[in-house]
Amino acid sequence: MADLLGKDAGGALTDPLLGYQPLPGVADEMVDPSGKVRPVWQKLLSYLGKQDENGLEDRFNRADRYLKDAGVFYRSYGGPGSVERDWPLSHVPVLISDEEWNRISDGLIQRVELLEAIAADIYGENTLVRDGVLPPALIGANAEFLRPLVGVKPAGGHYLHFCSFEIGRGPDGNWWVLSDRTQAPSGAGFALENRVATARAFSDLYADMHVHRLASFFGAFRETLLARRQSPVERVAVLTPGPANETYYEHAYIARYLGFMLLEGEDLAVVDGRVMVRTVSGLKPIGVLWRRLDASYADPLELNQNSYIGTPGMVQALRQGSVTMVNALGTGILETRALLAFLPRISAHLKNEPLNMPSIATWWCGQEAERAYVASNIDGMVIGPAYSRLPFFDDKGQSVLGATLREQAKETVIGWLKAEGARLAGQEAVTLSTTPVWHEGKLVPRPMSLRVFAARTLDGWTIMPGGFARISSGADALAIAMQAGGKSADVWVVSEGPVERPTLLPRENDFTRNMPGSLPSRAADNLYWLGRYIERAEGTIRILRAWHARYAELADAETPLLADLTAYLKALDIAIEPAVPDSLLANIESALFSASNIRDRFSPDGWLALVDLAKTARDFNERIKAGEDAARAMTVLLRKLAGFAGLVHENMYRFTGWRFLTIGRLLERGLHMTRLLGHMSGDDPPDGSWDLLLDIGDSVMTHRRRYNVATAGVTVTDLLALDALNPRSIMFQLDAIKSEVEALPNAYRDGQMSPLYREAVRLHSMMAVKTPEEMNAAIYNELEQEMETLSNVLSQTYLA
Amino acid sequence: MIYDIKLKITYEYDVPATGARHAVRILPVTIDGRQRLIAGALSFDPVPEERVDIVDFFGNHVSLVQMRAAHDKSLIQMQTRVQVEAPLSLPGLSRPLSRIAEEVATFKSMAGDAPHHFLGASPRLPIVPDVVEFAREFAGRDMPVEEIARAMCAGIHRDFKYDGKVTKVDTPLKEAFKLKAGVCQDFSHIMIAGLRSLGIPAGYVSGFLRTIPPPGKPRLEGADAMHAWVRVWGGRDAGWLEYDPTNDMRAGLDHIVVGYGRDYSDVAPVVGVLRSYGEHATQQSVDVVPVNLGQDA
Repeated sequence: MADLLGKDAGGALTDPLLGYQPLPGVADEMVDPSGKVRPVWQKLLSYLGKQDENGLEDRFNRADRYLKDAGVFYRSYGGPGSVERDWPLSHVPVLISDEEWNRISDGLIQRVELLEAIAADIYGENTLVRDGVLPPALIGANAEFLRPLVGVKPAGGHYLHFCSFEIGRGPDGNWWVLSDRTQAPSGAGFALENRVATARAFSDLYADMHVHRLASFFGAFRETLLARRQSPVERVAVLTPGPANETYYEHAYIARYLGFMLLEGEDLAVVDGRVMVRTVSGLKPIGVLWRRLDASYADPLELNQNSYIGTPGMVQALRQGSVTMVNALGTGILETRALLAFLPRISAHLKNEPLNMPSIATWWCGQEAERAYVASNIDGMVIGPAYSRLPFFDDKGQSVLGATLREQAKETVIGWLKAEGARLAGQEAVTLSTTPVWHEGKLVPRPMSLRVFAARTLDGWTIMPGGFARISSGADALAIAMQAGGKSADVWVVSEGPVERPTLLPRENDFTRNMPGSLPSRAADNLYWLGRYIERAEGTIRILRAWHARYAELADAETPLLADLTAYLKALDIAIEPAVPDSLLANIESALFSASNIRDRFSPDGWLALVDLAKTARDFNERIKAGEDAARAMTVLLRKLAGFAGLVHENMYRFTGWRFLTIGRLLERGLHMTRLLGHMSGDDPPDGSWDLLLDIGDSVMTHRRRYNVATAGVTVTDLLALDALNPRSIMFQLDAIKSEVEALPNAYRDGQMSPLYREAVRLHSMMAVKTPEEMNAAIYNELEQEMETLSNVLSQTYLA
Repeated sequence: MIYDIKLKITYEYDVPATGARHAVRILPVTIDGRQRLIAGALSFDPVPEERVDIVDFFGNHVSLVQMRAAHDKSLIQMQTRVQVEAPLSLPGLSRPLSRIAEEVATFKSMAGDAPHHFLGASPRLPIVPDVVEFAREFAGRDMPVEEIARAMCAGIHRDFKYDGKVTKVDTPLKEAFKLKAGVCQDFSHIMIAGLRSLGIPAGYVSGFLRTIPPPGKPRLEGADAMHAWVRVWGGRDAGWLEYDPTNDMRAGLDHIVVGYGRDYSDVAPVVGVLRSYGEHATQQSVDVVPVNLGQDA
């Protein structure tokens, strides 16, 4: 590739900019107004110049592969249902010198402290309204003004702990705040993932350029949240709306990264004004909740009565100051678009200082003069809902750009301003700076904004040295064009000298060690059912494989042996057509669903193995033919299942969660074998039944080695029902269930066996004394029912 | 006028309920110059494991109770003695509609009775174009708020039929308006939404009506259960005025206030969250009896 941009045939650089051309009249991150490359970009640019195109693509693929392997996705809505989408990374990072970054940080810290003061005022004395600084309508008609929280002092005294800001650089080179995120800011986890991926793509360059690391920001925030607990027995948790949320992946990621529990409203109970988590060992106190759920959904008793994802009594717990909420319920009001218009006055009033970093110019049209100004300058305005909490470039088309309207439409908007001014705000239609993006083999300028994160630590507010850049998909630099798709990029804050290199290795503290017994009941429930669904799928596949292998030989589905097995499957709701039946697919989907509820407890590898299994099964479902083809397909599925099981077995920490998963598998495997043996023990099984059963039970070789006789009911029963050393036998499962149950919390209470443990022991003893000769259909039937009882007792004891 | 009031609310569950939490707003408030709570008490069966009594944002008494254990029925009872005074009747002070926006904007307080909370949409009252249109016919720019409210009150009473069978407690505003029928809650919601669409602050009043009318007067609709009516902000001088669209009258000595809110959701007598699977049934009985202190003494 001799002709990568700006190189002549000999490979010498002819153009230090590699052909990059900033847009006229638009500020650019890499190239200054005089056309020179900014010093902080020089290293990256010359590095890019040295790569050939294939080398670069390889590097970019490395980053994409990381994101894919890590399972990074976000959920996107639109059309029927929702889809998980790969995270769109623009590989070239945005570089900012730490000198400039410090100015940004100072501006944002001043701003977040102002926002804290505004929250305290709105939910406290209301001097801003009293003194005429803030129009009362902006509070009174604001859906995020949560009246039950008025007068409630947050535990520890702070309303805000973690915020983010969308900032952009205007044509004059200065930074503007486009919007404030105080409700439940998302993206910090994605910023981390972007960093890991981008650092992989440019590993040598990253090591060589003094880029500020992100880990210490998270470390300090983690320490702070732990310190906010009122007692060391309390836990810190991330409160998520659940897997249907578009940024659920990130909630799970952050929880796992910081070592906090990931909980949903349903996991929590409020007892005597304290927030508790329902775990398999009872209720445990929660000291700090990092909330990723919109405030009004947090309590169906005192807030949104239609919320199904909240915790009744949460507001009362906050009133009693027993839990720290990050951020306080009600702080979403600070995101109100029209509030931006009043920040300079509020800053002067509350802090007696001007804002160091301005907001994008905003006018609330509930005031006569402002309304008139917006109307007469409509060509330079974006007009949208005053109470919106979304930035104008992200509000799903609720805002209109004056300049794009035809005369008649302008009149309509002006009429709208007159009629409903109080519900509207005008904002200056700003042009954002551009940053280089790799597009079709060259660097091109694309408009961008930055999301910057602020955390309150024990030493005050700190700004994450980095963040993520949102990059527009088109070249239109008007900020409102950001809403169409786009990508994200890593942000490197570059120092002239070496930077600190902290990592977030687990620290010595009681919380991370204190995991025993803290498994939430809902997570245990999902793990248990994941185990059952996985094993049920395996059982089904084994039977189907045996069926198709014989069908391939006999070529007649009506032979007594196959007809009998078909009837058996039918009773379990498993059809023989298509070869990979729908019920098996549904089963695997159920496993996937259970797993999706507990993503934080899984290695990404385990998850991807399961996703792959489901994908393969769907594919087979559409095209596999009965017989040899199907038998082979079943073997593929079995291998993939074993892959997942292996990952779980190898990588999952042997604690309570693992036990529930294991018990689920053991029980289902026991049921599978019990049902099969029960069926075969009926009168006169068709010829070949016992051989078939050995095949399904993966015990043909063992049988041959152990019994020097031809296959018979007694030997097969001995091996598959009663042999405690055969991992497929019923006895083996009962043995293992007994030891797993014994290790669960509260197996003994006050020196007595728990009802579940007693049940497990009883079942075990019942089978331990049986001989193969006395086994019959009635006993298998009883055994099957006893196992279902065991499952019910388990649910009642631990999972309710 | 002094009243003794008894209220009994029962719930019956097909499948026993556990972990029940209720926010109960049934004990009348004291309002300067309007009514005084002389005595009052709430009781619960089963006895709650937890009970906290608070005053909410709008000044209402709320009991937050939790009944953890499984129960197939529960009983909430309230008994109170309240002295009601004729509302200070200064409707003549209410401002013309054209002046209201400015009076609101210059009212620099966010207290629970400030007009700012009672404009625009609220949880149960979205903006419904039909209601906006309906409200328009009662308004003129120079009409005082009091006149508009009285006209709307009469209009609703004229156009809507009292019928306890057509709507439920959660019937949306839009639907009740289409039905042209309903109960006190529906009529109050329509009037509140109508007034707000004109820019007039209006709120929901939950309360009781005297059960047996004074001799020679008709029995009022809504006396056999908790009642609801409307309050309207007539400007800084007039303050809040109360109207009962169900009975087409100003709320007077027969109306005992339990609480104020933006709409029903703020003052629902019982908001409950519990774990149960089946259906449940609820019953309410109310007894509002004037006390003749002269005879007692």
